[in-house]
Amino acid sequence: MNVEQTTLPKKYHDAVLHWQRHNFPDYGLLPENWQKYFPSDPEFCLCAKMEVGMGDKVEVGDAKGERRREKPEELGEEPAKHLLAIIRAQASTEFGSIQQHEGTLARAQDDEDRFWVLRVMAEELRHGYQMFHLLVSQDWSGVSGQKAEEMVEEILSMQTGSHVLDAFNLEYDSFVDNVVFAAVIDRVGKYQLSMQRVCSYKPFAASMPPMLREEAFHLAAGVIPLRRWVQRAAQGNALITTAAIQKAFNKWMPRGLEMFGHEKGGDSNIRFGFKNMKNAEAQSLYYDECRRMVADLNQRFIRARLPKLSPEEAEALAERLLRDRGKHDGISHEDLIQLPDKAFFRRKGDSAFTMVGFSGETFTGVEEYVRHLAGHLPEPYLHSRDMKQYVESLRQVAAGTLTRDQAIKKTPTLKRVGGMCPCSKSVRWVMEEGIPAEPSRN
Amino acid sequence: MSAVAEQVRIRPLNELDIARIVSIDERLTGVYRPEVWERRIMYYLRRDPDASQVAELGGKVVGFMLADIRGGEFGLEETGGWIERFGVDPDFQGRSLGRKLFEAVVVHLKRQGAATVRTLVEKSDSELASFLRAVGFKDAPLAALEMRIS
Repeated sequence: MNVEQTTLPKKYHDAVLHWQRHNFPDYGLLPENWQKYFPSDPEFCLCAKMEVGMGDKVEVGDAKGERRREKPEELGEEPAKHLLAIIRAQASTEFGSIQQHEGTLARAQDDEDRFWVLRVMAEELRHGYQMFHLLVSQDWSGVSGQKAEEMVEEILSMQTGSHVLDAFNLEYDSFVDNVVFAAVIDRVGKYQLSMQRVCSYKPFAASMPPMLREEAFHLAAGVIPLRRWVQRAAQGNALITTAAIQKAFNKWMPRGLEMFGHEKGGDSNIRFGFKNMKNAEAQSLYYDECRRMVADLNQRFIRARLPKLSPEEAEALAERLLRDRGKHDGISHEDLIQLPDKAFFRRKGDSAFTMVGFSGETFTGVEEYVRHLAGHLPEPYLHSRDMKQYVESLRQVAAGTLTRDQAIKKTPTLKRVGGMCPCSKSVRWVMEEGIPAEPSRN
Repeated sequence: MSAVAEQVRIRPLNELDIARIVSIDERLTGVYRPEVWERRIMYYLRRDPDASQVAELGGKVVGFMLADIRGGEFGLEETGGWIERFGVDPDFQGRSLGRKLFEAVVVHLKRQGAATVRTLVEKSDSELASFLRAVGFKDAPLAALEMRIS
């Protein structure tokens, strides 16, 4: 690959490894098992990878045709602030997803699925590392008001519940979440990275192609296990059901749609040359792609039950069953997977707190809507703090004691905490060189 | 150049192409084997998703070519491209799709520094061999050998 590899200055590199020891203790299993699960693939490298040979001209926006910017101060204050927020959010998602995956990684039924997710996590660690490279290799203090070290500290101190984007603040309930997250939420990541490939800030643009190549594996690590699971579900395996997969889709799809930002937004990204699509356009393409993924899963399910059907017949049957809510040859529409309506269970964007049901139906009573959600979301998730806070906000919006805008701004509700390394008397992740971090107690 | 080849979009492989590739393979071989293709496509996606290409017509995948870059195998120290599998939907064969896929694969392999592209073909498959010769393949100095051990 035409890629330049770089490592962070030692204190930041060590900080990432220190964070890994506390948040990603399974990391060490990957090199031990690499040859078994990824034979002949180049070994994993914790480093920043910059694509060589990116074009020198800005591709979109006000500065289209001009030279790509290589330093934050060349961007101008407002664009630089905007881009810094994007980089920090991106970094937060990378570290956040590892914290989520780690919680249920050991519950995988198959070792292959587990090691695929483990590799995904390691590559997310590399992506977070990549974002740190962007933060620490240039001086952002003019717009951040913080030293590089403080920005790194802040990101490493985030926990599930205090990350920048809602999708990264939900706990996983089971390994189904690991896989559905990779298929649904990493797909948003693919869209963001693809859009950011045009970025007018060259180091950010050059970070995208290597991350995108790895993201292709992440999506496959979601979709392929799902394909195998629906086959097993169709064959009567009691340990995996399409109903469980459906509920996981219902949990993640709304958060995935919200990761694109407000449906009316995205103008600044285009104007500053950071992305090549507005939020609504990208979100719409994403939703269509998810619909295609689900149609493939349904076809796989039907052919496992009715192997004599051709692919086209299986596809037509799935469409008919879902449209007529019917049954055929022992297969019910309830056996198949469907995407929830775009406005279902939303807390950000155009449809935030509007009480739209799974099929697009509108509810007027809060309690009736909460019952509807309870019937469509995974049972353990109903008891989560996230769900409790959502329902509280929804009740307040319905009662008129909270506006929709206030409710939207309420999440995430956990306060950012300072560096909270659990093994150190210090509250720092980034240690000055020469002061070794205390050994891990994991 | 046929009208179909002109309208076709060649793009890198992704995980949502599995269903169509399974279907094309089923049309070509008469066997439905999703597990085989899930495994193979995962392999290519994790190695280099841009090296493998699909041909799309009206949003539907009608052909594919799976390739990657390797080095140090069989005494071949230089990094080279390998094309393992490809297929075109029988309804769209004979319309230059295979050539378009091959050209896209070669562009990527060259960009990644490959100087040679290799493949293996069954001696009995004269149709495939003539396609490969038509796009520029020649006899290699290596010969494929095998021995049954069970």
